[in-house]
Amino acid sequence: MPEAIISTQGLGFAYGSIVALRDVTLEIPPGCIGLVGANGAGKTTLLKLLLGILKPAEGAAWALGHPVPGAALAVRSRVGYMPESACLPPDQTAADFVGYAAELAGLSTRAARQRASDILGLVGLHEERFRHMGGFSTGMKQRVKLAQAIVHDPDLVLLDEPTAGLDPEGREEMLQLIGRLEGFGINALVSSHVLTDIERTCRWVVMLDGGGVLRSGPLTDISATDEVAVEVLDDPGPLAAALEAAGAAVQVLGRTVVVRVGVADPFDMVRDALADTGAAVRRLGPRRTTLEDVYLRGGGDD
Amino acid sequence: MTEGVVYDLGYRRHEGERMGRAAATRALYRDGLRRVLGLRRRARAKVLPWSLLAVAVLPASGFIGLAVFTRDLGIQGVEFFSHAQYFDLTGVIALLFVAIAAGELLVPDRAHGVLQVYASRPLTAGDYLLGRAAGLATVVFGFMELPHLVLFLGRGPGSPDGFGSYAAANAGILWQTSLSCLGYLAALAPPALLFAAYARRPALASGPFVGVMLLLSLATRALVEQGDLRVFALFDLRQHPAVVKDWIMGNPGRWGEYGRAGFGPWVSLLVIGLVALTAAYLLVRRYRRPA
Repeated sequence: MPEAIISTQGLGFAYGSIVALRDVTLEIPPGCIGLVGANGAGKTTLLKLLLGILKPAEGAAWALGHPVPGAALAVRSRVGYMPESACLPPDQTAADFVGYAAELAGLSTRAARQRASDILGLVGLHEERFRHMGGFSTGMKQRVKLAQAIVHDPDLVLLDEPTAGLDPEGREEMLQLIGRLEGFGINALVSSHVLTDIERTCRWVVMLDGGGVLRSGPLTDISATDEVAVEVLDDPGPLAAALEAAGAAVQVLGRTVVVRVGVADPFDMVRDALADTGAAVRRLGPRRTTLEDVYLRGGGDD
Repeated sequence: MTEGVVYDLGYRRHEGERMGRAAATRALYRDGLRRVLGLRRRARAKVLPWSLLAVAVLPASGFIGLAVFTRDLGIQGVEFFSHAQYFDLTGVIALLFVAIAAGELLVPDRAHGVLQVYASRPLTAGDYLLGRAAGLATVVFGFMELPHLVLFLGRGPGSPDGFGSYAAANAGILWQTSLSCLGYLAALAPPALLFAAYARRPALASGPFVGVMLLLSLATRALVEQGDLRVFALFDLRQHPAVVKDWIMGNPGRWGEYGRAGFGPWVSLLVIGLVALTAAYLLVRRYRRPA
Protein backbone atom coordinates (compact mmCIF):
# COMPACT_ATOMS: atom_id res chain seq x y z
CA MET A 1 0.00 0.00 0.00
CA PRO A 2 1.34 3.52 -0.79
CA GLU A 3 2.24 5.78 2.11
CA ALA A 4 -0.89 6.61 4.08
CA ILE A 5 -2.34 10.12 3.81
CA ILE A 6 -4.34 9.56 7.00
CA SER A 7 -3.48 7.31 9.92
CA THR A 8 -5.16 6.88 13.24
CA GLN A 9 -4.21 4.71 16.17
CA GLY A 10 -6.81 3.86 18.82
CA LEU A 11 -8.57 7.16 18.22
CA GLY A 12 -11.45 7.96 20.54
CA PHE A 13 -13.67 10.94 21.23
CA ALA A 14 -16.77 11.58 23.31
CA TYR A 15 -19.19 14.48 23.58
CA GLY A 16 -19.68 14.35 27.33
CA SER A 17 -21.10 10.94 28.06
CA ILE A 18 -21.87 10.19 24.41
CA VAL A 19 -19.10 8.22 22.74
CA ALA A 20 -18.70 9.43 19.15
CA LEU A 21 -15.60 7.44 18.20
CA ARG A 22 -13.92 4.51 19.91
CA ASP A 23 -10.65 2.76 19.16
CA VAL A 24 -10.47 3.84 15.52
CA THR A 25 -7.31 2.53 13.88
CA LEU A 26 -6.91 3.29 10.19
CA GLU A 27 -4.30 3.47 7.45
CA ILE A 28 -5.80 5.30 4.48
CA PRO A 29 -3.91 5.39 1.15
CA PRO A 30 -3.91 8.31 -1.31
CA GLY A 31 -6.79 8.67 -3.75
CA CYS A 32 -10.50 9.13 -3.36
CA ILE A 33 -11.58 7.54 -0.11
CA GLY A 34 -15.13 6.95 1.03
CA LEU A 35 -16.16 7.35 4.63
CA VAL A 36 -19.55 5.76 5.05
CA GLY A 37 -21.84 5.25 7.95
CA ALA A 38 -25.28 6.08 9.22
CA ASN A 39 -26.06 9.44 10.80
CA GLY A 40 -24.28 9.53 14.15
CA ALA A 41 -21.72 6.92 13.14
CA GLY A 42 -18.89 9.37 13.86
CA LYS A 43 -17.99 10.54 10.34
CA THR A 44 -18.07 14.29 11.00
CA THR A 45 -16.31 13.82 14.34
CA LEU A 46 -13.50 11.96 12.56
CA LEU A 47 -13.17 14.77 10.01
CA LYS A 48 -13.00 17.40 12.78
CA LEU A 49 -10.39 15.36 14.62
CA LEU A 50 -8.31 15.19 11.43
CA LEU A 51 -8.52 18.98 11.09
CA GLY A 52 -7.50 19.45 14.71
CA ILE A 53 -10.76 21.23 15.52
CA LEU A 54 -11.47 18.59 18.15
CA LYS A 55 -8.87 17.05 20.41
CA PRO A 56 -8.94 13.27 20.72
CA ALA A 57 -9.80 11.88 24.13
CA GLU A 58 -7.55 8.92 23.40
CA GLY A 59 -5.28 7.66 20.66
CA ALA A 60 -3.52 9.64 17.96
CA ALA A 61 -4.07 10.77 14.39
CA TRP A 62 -1.84 11.88 11.50
CA ALA A 63 -2.86 13.66 8.34
CA LEU A 64 -0.41 14.12 5.45
CA GLY A 65 2.28 12.89 7.80
CA HIS A 66 1.65 15.55 10.46
CA PRO A 67 0.27 14.73 13.89
CA VAL A 68 -3.06 16.34 14.74
CA PRO A 69 -3.92 18.35 16.71
CA GLY A 70 -0.21 18.94 17.46
CA ALA A 71 0.58 20.24 13.98
CA ALA A 72 -2.98 21.26 13.11
CA LEU A 73 -1.96 24.53 11.47
CA ALA A 74 0.51 22.78 9.16
CA VAL A 75 -2.17 20.25 8.27
CA ARG A 76 -4.81 22.90 7.61
CA SER A 77 -2.57 24.80 5.23
CA ARG A 78 -2.60 21.71 2.95
CA VAL A 79 -6.11 20.45 3.65
CA GLY A 80 -9.48 21.71 2.47
CA TYR A 81 -12.78 21.13 4.22
CA MET A 82 -16.29 21.21 2.83
CA PRO A 83 -18.69 21.22 5.79
CA GLU A 84 -22.04 19.50 5.62
CA SER A 85 -23.98 22.44 7.04
CA ALA A 86 -24.26 25.96 5.67
CA CYS A 87 -21.03 27.99 5.69
CA LEU A 88 -21.66 30.74 3.16
CA PRO A 89 -22.40 34.38 4.03
CA PRO A 90 -25.46 35.34 1.96
CA ASP A 91 -24.41 38.96 1.51
CA GLN A 92 -21.12 38.19 -0.23
CA THR A 93 -20.47 37.28 -3.84
CA ALA A 94 -19.09 33.86 -4.63
CA ALA A 95 -15.93 35.38 -6.09
CA ASP A 96 -15.30 37.50 -2.99
CA PHE A 97 -15.90 34.63 -0.60
CA VAL A 98 -13.85 32.02 -2.42
CA GLY A 99 -11.03 34.53 -2.90
CA TYR A 100 -11.19 35.36 0.78
CA ALA A 101 -11.07 31.64 1.63
CA ALA A 102 -7.89 31.36 -0.44
CA GLU A 103 -6.34 34.34 1.36
CA LEU A 104 -7.19 32.72 4.67
CA ALA A 105 -5.07 29.77 3.58
CA GLY A 106 -2.09 32.08 3.04
CA LEU A 107 -2.32 32.87 -0.69
CA SER A 108 -1.53 36.43 -1.79
CA THR A 109 -4.50 38.62 -2.67
CA ARG A 110 -3.67 38.53 -6.35
CA ALA A 111 -3.22 34.76 -6.48
CA ALA A 112 -6.38 34.30 -4.40
CA ARG A 113 -8.49 36.33 -6.82
CA GLN A 114 -7.10 34.51 -9.83
CA ARG A 115 -7.61 31.08 -8.30
CA ALA A 116 -11.10 31.97 -7.10
CA SER A 117 -12.07 32.85 -10.64
CA ASP A 118 -10.48 29.67 -12.02
CA ILE A 119 -12.01 27.35 -9.45
CA LEU A 120 -15.48 28.87 -9.71
CA GLY A 121 -15.23 28.27 -13.44
CA LEU A 122 -14.14 24.71 -12.76
CA VAL A 123 -17.19 24.01 -10.58
CA GLY A 124 -19.49 25.59 -13.16
CA LEU A 125 -20.16 28.95 -11.53
CA HIS A 126 -18.18 31.25 -13.79
CA GLU A 127 -21.23 33.23 -14.88
CA GLU A 128 -22.66 33.51 -11.37
CA ARG A 129 -19.45 34.35 -9.53
CA PHE A 130 -20.33 38.01 -8.99
CA ARG A 131 -23.80 37.26 -7.60
CA HIS A 132 -24.54 37.39 -3.88
CA MET A 133 -24.76 33.85 -2.53
CA GLY A 134 -28.00 34.49 -0.67
CA GLY A 135 -29.83 33.96 -3.98
CA PHE A 136 -28.07 30.72 -4.88
CA SER A 137 -29.82 27.36 -5.19
CA THR A 138 -28.73 24.45 -2.99
CA GLY A 139 -26.73 23.01 -5.88
CA MET A 140 -24.89 26.27 -6.46
CA LYS A 141 -24.16 26.60 -2.74
CA GLN A 142 -22.70 23.08 -2.68
CA ARG A 143 -20.46 24.03 -5.61
CA VAL A 144 -19.24 27.16 -3.80
CA LYS A 145 -18.57 25.04 -0.72
CA LEU A 146 -16.48 22.68 -2.83
CA ALA A 147 -14.74 25.64 -4.48
CA GLN A 148 -13.70 27.18 -1.15
CA ALA A 149 -12.40 23.76 -0.07
CA ILE A 150 -10.06 23.38 -3.04
CA VAL A 151 -9.26 27.00 -3.95
CA HIS A 152 -5.95 26.96 -2.06
CA ASP A 153 -4.82 23.83 -3.92
CA PRO A 154 -4.82 21.41 -0.98
CA ASP A 155 -3.23 17.97 -1.02
CA LEU A 156 -6.24 16.54 0.76
CA VAL A 157 -9.84 17.66 0.86
CA LEU A 158 -12.37 16.47 3.42
CA LEU A 159 -15.89 16.48 1.98
CA ASP A 160 -18.71 16.10 4.48
CA GLU A 161 -21.91 14.89 2.80
CA PRO A 162 -21.18 16.74 -0.47
CA THR A 163 -24.39 15.60 -2.15
CA ALA A 164 -26.72 16.45 0.74
CA GLY A 165 -29.86 18.24 -0.38
CA LEU A 166 -29.09 17.98 -4.09
CA ASP A 167 -31.59 16.92 -6.73
CA PRO A 168 -30.58 13.97 -8.98
CA GLU A 169 -29.04 16.23 -11.61
CA GLY A 170 -27.10 18.27 -9.06
CA ARG A 171 -25.96 15.10 -7.34
CA GLU A 172 -24.70 13.69 -10.61
CA GLU A 173 -22.73 16.85 -11.34
CA MET A 174 -21.27 16.97 -7.84
CA LEU A 175 -20.16 13.33 -8.09
CA GLN A 176 -18.51 14.07 -11.42
CA LEU A 177 -16.63 16.96 -9.84
CA ILE A 178 -15.49 14.79 -6.96
CA GLY A 179 -14.45 12.11 -9.41
CA ARG A 180 -12.15 14.64 -11.11
CA LEU A 181 -10.32 15.63 -7.92
CA GLU A 182 -7.85 12.75 -8.02
CA GLY A 183 -6.87 13.80 -11.52
CA PHE A 184 -6.05 17.25 -10.14
CA GLY A 185 -3.67 15.70 -7.63
CA ILE A 186 -6.07 16.23 -4.73
CA ASN A 187 -6.78 13.32 -2.43
CA ALA A 188 -10.33 13.27 -1.10
CA LEU A 189 -11.98 11.80 1.95
CA VAL A 190 -15.68 11.78 1.09
CA SER A 191 -18.05 11.32 3.99
CA SER A 192 -21.53 10.15 3.07
CA HIS A 193 -24.37 8.00 4.20
CA VAL A 194 -25.40 7.51 0.57
CA LEU A 195 -23.51 4.33 -0.25
CA THR A 196 -24.06 4.50 -3.98
CA ASP A 197 -22.26 7.86 -4.06
CA ILE A 198 -19.21 6.23 -2.52
CA GLU A 199 -19.39 3.26 -4.87
CA ARG A 200 -19.33 5.61 -7.81
CA THR A 201 -16.47 7.85 -6.75
CA CYS A 202 -14.13 6.04 -4.38
CA ARG A 203 -11.57 3.28 -4.61
CA TRP A 204 -11.13 2.72 -0.90
CA VAL A 205 -13.85 2.64 1.72
CA VAL A 206 -13.91 3.13 5.46
CA MET A 207 -17.15 2.00 7.06
CA LEU A 208 -18.04 3.39 10.47
CA ASP A 209 -20.78 2.14 12.72
CA GLY A 210 -21.54 3.32 16.22
CA GLY A 211 -18.20 5.11 16.44
CA GLY A 212 -16.13 2.07 15.49
CA VAL A 213 -14.58 0.86 12.23
CA LEU A 214 -16.70 -1.78 10.53
CA ARG A 215 -14.49 -2.26 7.48
CA SER A 216 -11.61 -0.45 5.82
CA GLY A 217 -10.21 -1.56 2.51
CA PRO A 218 -10.32 -1.33 -1.28
CA LEU A 219 -13.84 -1.17 -2.64
CA THR A 220 -13.15 -4.13 -4.91
CA ASP A 221 -12.22 -6.32 -1.93
CA ILE A 222 -15.19 -5.21 0.11
CA SER A 223 -17.69 -5.74 -2.66
CA ALA A 224 -16.23 -9.02 -3.89
CA THR A 225 -17.96 -12.28 -2.88
CA ASP A 226 -17.20 -15.95 -3.32
CA GLU A 227 -20.30 -16.43 -5.43
CA VAL A 228 -21.12 -16.65 -9.16
CA ALA A 229 -24.34 -15.14 -10.48
CA VAL A 230 -26.12 -16.46 -13.59
CA GLU A 231 -29.05 -14.48 -14.88
CA VAL A 232 -31.19 -16.35 -17.38
CA LEU A 233 -33.88 -15.17 -19.76
CA ASP A 234 -36.53 -17.73 -18.77
CA ASP A 235 -37.36 -19.95 -15.79
CA PRO A 236 -34.24 -20.41 -13.61
CA GLY A 237 -35.69 -23.54 -11.95
CA PRO A 238 -34.18 -26.17 -14.26
CA LEU A 239 -30.76 -24.56 -14.10
CA ALA A 240 -30.88 -24.36 -10.32
CA ALA A 241 -31.95 -27.99 -10.14
CA ALA A 242 -29.13 -29.06 -12.45
CA LEU A 243 -26.58 -27.19 -10.39
CA GLU A 244 -27.89 -28.67 -7.15
CA ALA A 245 -27.75 -32.12 -8.74
CA ALA A 246 -24.09 -31.45 -9.55
CA GLY A 247 -23.44 -30.69 -5.89
CA ALA A 248 -23.49 -26.87 -5.86
CA ALA A 249 -25.13 -24.75 -3.20
CA VAL A 250 -27.50 -22.40 -5.07
CA GLN A 251 -29.92 -19.61 -4.30
CA VAL A 252 -32.53 -18.28 -6.72
CA LEU A 253 -33.12 -14.53 -6.70
CA GLY A 254 -35.71 -13.69 -9.37
CA ARG A 255 -34.18 -14.89 -12.64
CA THR A 256 -30.72 -15.04 -11.17
CA VAL A 257 -29.17 -18.19 -9.82
CA VAL A 258 -26.42 -17.55 -7.29
CA VAL A 259 -23.86 -20.34 -7.03
CA ARG A 260 -21.69 -20.47 -3.95
CA VAL A 261 -18.14 -21.27 -4.88
CA GLY A 262 -17.32 -24.72 -3.66
CA VAL A 263 -14.56 -27.20 -4.30
CA ALA A 264 -15.09 -27.48 -8.07
CA ASP A 265 -14.70 -24.60 -10.51
CA PRO A 266 -18.15 -22.95 -10.42
CA PHE A 267 -17.85 -21.64 -13.97
CA ASP A 268 -17.28 -25.15 -15.32
CA MET A 269 -20.22 -26.34 -13.28
CA VAL A 270 -22.45 -23.55 -14.63
CA ARG A 271 -21.30 -24.20 -18.20
CA ASP A 272 -22.24 -27.88 -17.91
CA ALA A 273 -25.59 -27.10 -16.30
CA LEU A 274 -26.43 -24.56 -19.01
CA ALA A 275 -25.56 -27.10 -21.69
CA ASP A 276 -27.75 -29.72 -20.02
CA THR A 277 -30.79 -27.48 -19.53
CA GLY A 278 -30.46 -25.31 -22.63
CA ALA A 279 -31.14 -22.18 -20.57
CA ALA A 280 -30.46 -18.86 -22.32
CA VAL A 281 -27.92 -16.75 -20.42
CA ARG A 282 -28.35 -13.04 -20.04
CA ARG A 283 -25.45 -12.37 -17.66
CA LEU A 284 -22.77 -14.51 -16.04
CA GLY A 285 -20.03 -13.42 -13.66
CA PRO A 286 -18.73 -13.14 -10.10
CA ARG A 287 -21.41 -11.74 -7.86
CA ARG A 288 -20.58 -8.28 -6.53
CA THR A 289 -22.33 -7.10 -3.45
CA THR A 290 -23.19 -3.47 -2.79
CA LEU A 291 -21.85 -1.43 0.10
CA GLU A 292 -25.37 -1.44 1.41
CA ASP A 293 -25.29 -5.25 1.60
CA VAL A 294 -21.95 -5.16 3.39
CA TYR A 295 -23.15 -2.49 5.77
CA LEU A 296 -26.38 -4.30 6.56
CA ARG A 297 -24.44 -7.50 7.15
CA GLY A 298 -22.41 -5.63 9.74
CA GLY A 299 -19.09 -5.50 7.98
CA GLY A 300 -18.92 -8.72 6.07
CA ASP A 301 -17.30 -11.96 6.86
CA ASP A 302 -14.02 -10.87 8.33
CA MET B 1 -9.66 37.19 -39.41
CA THR B 2 -8.87 34.79 -36.60
CA GLU B 3 -11.70 33.25 -34.65
CA GLY B 4 -11.76 33.21 -30.87
CA VAL B 5 -11.00 29.88 -29.30
CA VAL B 6 -11.88 28.86 -25.77
CA TYR B 7 -9.31 26.62 -24.13
CA ASP B 8 -10.29 24.59 -21.10
CA LEU B 9 -7.23 25.14 -18.94
CA GLY B 10 -8.55 22.66 -16.41
CA TYR B 11 -7.12 22.63 -12.93
CA ARG B 12 -3.80 24.26 -12.27
CA ARG B 13 -1.73 23.67 -9.15
CA HIS B 14 -0.74 26.68 -7.08
CA GLU B 15 3.00 27.14 -7.51
CA GLY B 16 3.22 30.44 -5.63
CA GLU B 17 4.04 31.26 -2.06
CA ARG B 18 1.91 30.35 0.95
CA MET B 19 2.30 33.09 3.48
CA GLY B 20 0.89 31.48 6.60
CA ARG B 21 -0.90 32.80 9.64
CA ALA B 22 0.20 36.41 9.45
CA ALA B 23 -1.22 36.80 5.95
CA ALA B 24 -4.41 35.00 6.96
CA THR B 25 -4.83 37.34 9.93
CA ARG B 26 -4.31 40.34 7.64
CA ALA B 27 -6.99 38.95 5.32
CA LEU B 28 -9.32 38.72 8.31
CA TYR B 29 -8.50 42.31 9.20
CA ARG B 30 -9.23 43.58 5.68
CA ASP B 31 -12.46 41.61 5.57
CA GLY B 32 -13.42 43.15 8.92
CA LEU B 33 -12.88 46.66 7.55
CA ARG B 34 -15.02 45.90 4.52
CA ARG B 35 -17.74 44.30 6.58
CA VAL B 36 -18.03 47.13 9.13
CA LEU B 37 -18.24 49.70 6.37
CA GLY B 38 -20.53 47.55 4.22
CA LEU B 39 -18.06 47.56 1.33
CA ARG B 40 -18.62 44.88 -1.34
CA ARG B 41 -21.96 44.23 0.34
CA ARG B 42 -25.51 45.18 -0.61
CA ALA B 43 -26.46 48.85 -0.37
CA ARG B 44 -28.44 48.37 2.83
CA ALA B 45 -25.30 47.17 4.61
CA LYS B 46 -23.74 50.57 3.94
CA VAL B 47 -26.62 52.67 5.26
CA LEU B 48 -26.01 52.51 9.01
CA PRO B 49 -22.21 52.90 9.20
CA TRP B 50 -22.04 55.67 6.63
CA SER B 51 -25.04 57.48 8.16
CA LEU B 52 -23.39 57.45 11.57
CA LEU B 53 -20.13 58.63 10.05
CA ALA B 54 -22.00 61.46 8.33
CA VAL B 55 -23.71 62.43 11.60
CA ALA B 56 -20.30 62.52 13.30
CA VAL B 57 -18.54 64.54 10.60
CA LEU B 58 -21.29 66.89 9.40
CA PRO B 59 -21.35 69.10 12.52
CA ALA B 60 -17.59 69.63 12.18
CA SER B 61 -17.99 70.48 8.52
CA GLY B 62 -20.89 72.79 9.41
CA PHE B 63 -18.82 74.59 12.05
CA ILE B 64 -16.04 75.11 9.57
CA GLY B 65 -18.50 76.44 7.01
CA LEU B 66 -19.95 78.84 9.58
CA ALA B 67 -16.48 79.96 10.63
CA VAL B 68 -15.61 80.82 7.04
CA PHE B 69 -18.97 82.55 6.59
CA THR B 70 -18.64 84.71 9.74
CA ARG B 71 -15.05 85.56 8.86
CA ASP B 72 -16.18 86.73 5.44
CA LEU B 73 -18.82 88.87 7.15
CA GLY B 74 -16.09 90.39 9.30
CA ILE B 75 -17.42 88.96 12.54
CA GLN B 76 -14.48 88.29 14.85
CA GLY B 77 -14.11 86.02 17.86
CA VAL B 78 -16.82 83.55 16.95
CA GLU B 79 -15.93 80.28 18.71
CA PHE B 80 -17.70 76.99 18.17
CA PHE B 81 -17.33 73.64 19.83
CA SER B 82 -13.90 72.78 21.15
CA HIS B 83 -12.35 69.39 20.43
CA ALA B 84 -13.12 68.28 23.99
CA GLN B 85 -16.78 69.29 23.63
CA TYR B 86 -16.98 67.54 20.27
CA PHE B 87 -16.32 64.24 22.03
CA ASP B 88 -19.64 64.69 23.84
CA LEU B 89 -21.29 64.23 20.43
CA THR B 90 -18.99 61.59 18.94
CA GLY B 91 -18.85 59.67 22.23
CA VAL B 92 -22.56 58.96 22.01
CA ILE B 93 -22.44 58.12 18.31
CA ALA B 94 -19.35 55.98 18.91
CA LEU B 95 -21.34 53.87 21.37
CA LEU B 96 -23.89 53.12 18.64
CA PHE B 97 -21.21 52.65 16.00
CA VAL B 98 -19.17 50.23 18.10
CA ALA B 99 -22.28 48.27 19.02
CA ILE B 100 -23.34 47.89 15.38
CA ALA B 101 -19.83 47.22 14.10
CA ALA B 102 -19.07 44.53 16.71
CA GLY B 103 -22.30 42.73 15.86
CA GLU B 104 -21.54 42.87 12.14
CA LEU B 105 -18.04 41.53 12.71
CA LEU B 106 -18.74 38.49 14.84
CA VAL B 107 -22.38 37.45 14.56
CA PRO B 108 -22.72 36.62 10.83
CA ASP B 109 -19.65 34.36 10.93
CA ARG B 110 -21.33 32.28 13.59
CA ALA B 111 -24.92 32.58 12.33
CA HIS B 112 -24.02 31.57 8.77
CA GLY B 113 -21.59 28.82 9.77
CA VAL B 114 -18.53 30.61 8.33
CA LEU B 115 -16.60 29.74 11.49
CA GLN B 116 -16.29 26.24 10.03
CA VAL B 117 -14.32 27.70 7.14
CA TYR B 118 -12.04 29.62 9.51
CA ALA B 119 -11.57 26.45 11.56
CA SER B 120 -10.32 24.62 8.48
CA ARG B 121 -7.69 27.27 7.74
CA PRO B 122 -4.27 27.71 9.38
CA LEU B 123 -5.65 30.10 12.00
CA THR B 124 -6.12 29.94 15.74
CA ALA B 125 -9.08 31.36 17.64
CA GLY B 126 -6.72 34.09 18.84
CA ASP B 127 -5.79 34.99 15.23
CA TYR B 128 -9.47 35.26 14.38
CA LEU B 129 -10.23 37.53 17.30
CA LEU B 130 -7.08 39.59 16.68
CA GLY B 131 -8.01 40.17 13.03
CA ARG B 132 -11.57 41.10 13.89
CA ALA B 133 -10.60 43.32 16.83
CA ALA B 134 -7.97 45.11 14.74
CA GLY B 135 -10.56 45.77 12.03
CA LEU B 136 -12.98 47.18 14.60
CA ALA B 137 -10.25 49.28 16.22
CA THR B 138 -9.18 50.81 12.92
CA VAL B 139 -12.68 51.74 11.85
CA VAL B 140 -13.76 53.06 15.25
CA PHE B 141 -10.57 55.06 15.66
CA GLY B 142 -10.99 56.54 12.21
CA PHE B 143 -14.66 57.22 12.90
CA MET B 144 -13.84 59.15 16.09
CA GLU B 145 -10.71 60.94 14.90
CA LEU B 146 -11.94 62.01 11.48
CA PRO B 147 -14.23 64.82 12.76
CA HIS B 148 -11.32 66.21 14.78
CA LEU B 149 -9.11 66.20 11.72
CA VAL B 150 -11.86 68.03 9.83
CA LEU B 151 -12.08 70.60 12.65
CA PHE B 152 -8.32 70.97 12.82
CA LEU B 153 -7.78 71.29 9.08
CA GLY B 154 -10.85 73.51 8.70
CA ARG B 155 -9.87 75.97 11.42
CA GLY B 156 -6.35 76.40 10.15
CA PRO B 157 -7.12 78.34 6.97
CA GLY B 158 -9.49 80.61 8.91
CA SER B 159 -6.85 81.47 11.47
CA PRO B 160 -5.61 85.11 11.34
CA ASP B 161 -1.99 83.84 11.52
CA GLY B 162 -2.41 81.45 8.60
CA PHE B 163 -2.56 77.66 8.48
CA GLY B 164 1.13 77.00 9.13
CA SER B 165 1.21 79.00 12.35
CA TYR B 166 -2.11 77.53 13.47
CA ALA B 167 -0.97 73.97 12.82
CA ALA B 168 2.33 74.49 14.62
CA ALA B 169 0.66 76.07 17.63
CA ASN B 170 -2.14 73.53 17.90
CA ALA B 171 -0.47 70.28 16.76
CA GLY B 172 -0.73 68.95 20.30
CA ILE B 173 -4.48 68.70 19.92
CA LEU B 174 -4.02 65.87 17.42
CA TRP B 175 -2.25 63.51 19.80
CA GLN B 176 -4.67 64.53 22.56
CA THR B 177 -7.69 63.62 20.42
CA SER B 178 -5.94 60.46 19.23
CA LEU B 179 -5.25 59.31 22.78
CA SER B 180 -8.80 60.16 23.77
CA CYS B 181 -10.14 58.12 20.84
CA LEU B 182 -8.04 55.19 22.01
CA GLY B 183 -9.59 55.58 25.45
CA TYR B 184 -13.11 55.35 24.00
CA LEU B 185 -12.03 52.43 21.86
CA ALA B 186 -10.56 50.50 24.78
CA ALA B 187 -13.61 51.19 26.91
CA LEU B 188 -16.33 50.34 24.39
CA ALA B 189 -14.98 47.77 21.93
CA PRO B 190 -14.13 44.80 24.21
CA PRO B 191 -17.53 44.62 25.93
CA ALA B 192 -19.29 45.19 22.60
CA LEU B 193 -17.38 42.27 21.08
CA LEU B 194 -18.26 40.14 24.09
CA PHE B 195 -21.96 40.85 23.61
CA ALA B 196 -21.59 40.02 19.92
CA ALA B 197 -19.85 36.75 20.73
CA TYR B 198 -23.01 35.43 22.36
CA ALA B 199 -25.73 36.97 20.15
CA ARG B 200 -27.54 35.13 17.40
CA ARG B 201 -28.24 38.21 15.31
CA PRO B 202 -26.34 41.49 14.93
CA ALA B 203 -29.28 43.46 16.31
CA LEU B 204 -29.38 41.18 19.34
CA ALA B 205 -25.77 42.10 20.01
CA SER B 206 -25.94 45.86 19.52
CA GLY B 207 -29.31 46.43 21.21
CA PRO B 208 -28.52 44.77 24.54
CA PHE B 209 -25.01 46.28 24.60
CA VAL B 210 -26.31 49.83 24.17
CA GLY B 211 -29.15 49.10 26.61
CA VAL B 212 -26.80 47.80 29.30
CA MET B 213 -24.44 50.75 28.90
CA LEU B 214 -27.28 53.26 29.18
CA LEU B 215 -28.89 51.41 32.09
CA LEU B 216 -25.56 51.36 33.93
CA SER B 217 -25.29 55.13 33.46
CA LEU B 218 -28.81 55.76 34.74
CA ALA B 219 -28.53 53.36 37.65
CA THR B 220 -25.13 54.71 38.61
CA ARG B 221 -26.41 58.28 38.59
CA ALA B 222 -29.30 57.35 40.84
CA LEU B 223 -27.08 55.45 43.25
CA VAL B 224 -24.37 58.11 43.46
CA GLU B 225 -27.00 60.72 44.20
CA GLN B 226 -27.78 58.73 47.34
CA GLY B 227 -24.39 59.91 48.63
CA ASP B 228 -23.15 56.82 50.44
CA LEU B 229 -23.03 54.66 47.35
CA ARG B 230 -20.27 56.45 45.50
CA VAL B 231 -18.44 53.23 44.65
CA PHE B 232 -21.19 52.47 42.15
CA ALA B 233 -19.89 55.33 40.02
CA LEU B 234 -17.22 52.88 38.87
CA PHE B 235 -19.90 50.88 37.04
CA ASP B 236 -20.77 53.74 34.70
CA LEU B 237 -18.67 52.35 31.88
CA ARG B 238 -19.64 55.16 29.51
CA GLN B 239 -18.26 57.75 31.90
CA HIS B 240 -14.73 56.37 32.11
CA PRO B 241 -13.51 57.24 28.59
CA ALA B 242 -15.04 60.72 28.98
CA VAL B 243 -13.13 61.21 32.23
CA VAL B 244 -9.89 60.04 30.61
CA LYS B 245 -10.55 62.29 27.61
CA ASP B 246 -11.12 65.36 29.80
CA TRP B 247 -7.96 64.53 31.72
CA ILE B 248 -5.90 64.19 28.53
CA MET B 249 -7.32 67.40 27.10
CA GLY B 250 -6.77 69.34 30.30
CA ASN B 251 -10.44 69.82 30.93
CA PRO B 252 -11.08 68.57 34.49
CA GLY B 253 -14.20 69.23 36.47
CA ARG B 254 -16.54 67.90 33.83
CA TRP B 255 -16.69 64.44 35.31
CA GLY B 256 -20.32 64.55 36.42
CA GLU B 257 -21.44 62.24 39.15
CA TYR B 258 -18.26 60.28 38.70
CA GLY B 259 -16.20 63.30 39.67
CA ARG B 260 -18.58 64.06 42.46
CA ALA B 261 -17.98 60.54 43.71
CA GLY B 262 -14.33 61.46 44.14
CA PHE B 263 -12.62 59.16 41.64
CA GLY B 264 -9.88 60.37 39.35
CA PRO B 265 -8.76 59.50 35.82
CA TRP B 266 -6.27 56.84 36.95
CA VAL B 267 -9.12 54.88 38.46
CA SER B 268 -11.00 55.23 35.17
CA LEU B 269 -7.99 53.96 33.27
CA LEU B 270 -7.75 51.01 35.64
CA VAL B 271 -11.44 50.18 35.20
CA ILE B 272 -11.16 50.43 31.41
CA GLY B 273 -8.16 48.09 31.48
CA LEU B 274 -9.84 45.60 33.79
CA VAL B 275 -13.04 45.50 31.73
CA ALA B 276 -11.04 45.12 28.51
CA LEU B 277 -8.92 42.28 29.91
CA THR B 278 -11.94 40.47 31.33
CA ALA B 279 -13.83 40.80 28.05
CA ALA B 280 -10.80 39.61 26.09
CA TYR B 281 -10.39 36.58 28.35
CA LEU B 282 -14.06 35.65 28.02
CA LEU B 283 -13.95 36.16 24.25
CA VAL B 284 -10.97 33.85 23.83
CA ARG B 285 -12.64 31.28 26.06
CA ARG B 286 -15.81 31.50 24.01
CA TYR B 287 -13.99 31.01 20.70
CA ARG B 288 -11.65 28.28 21.89
CA ARG B 289 -14.62 26.05 22.52
CA PRO B 290 -15.31 24.08 19.31
CA ALA B 291 -18.70 24.61 17.72
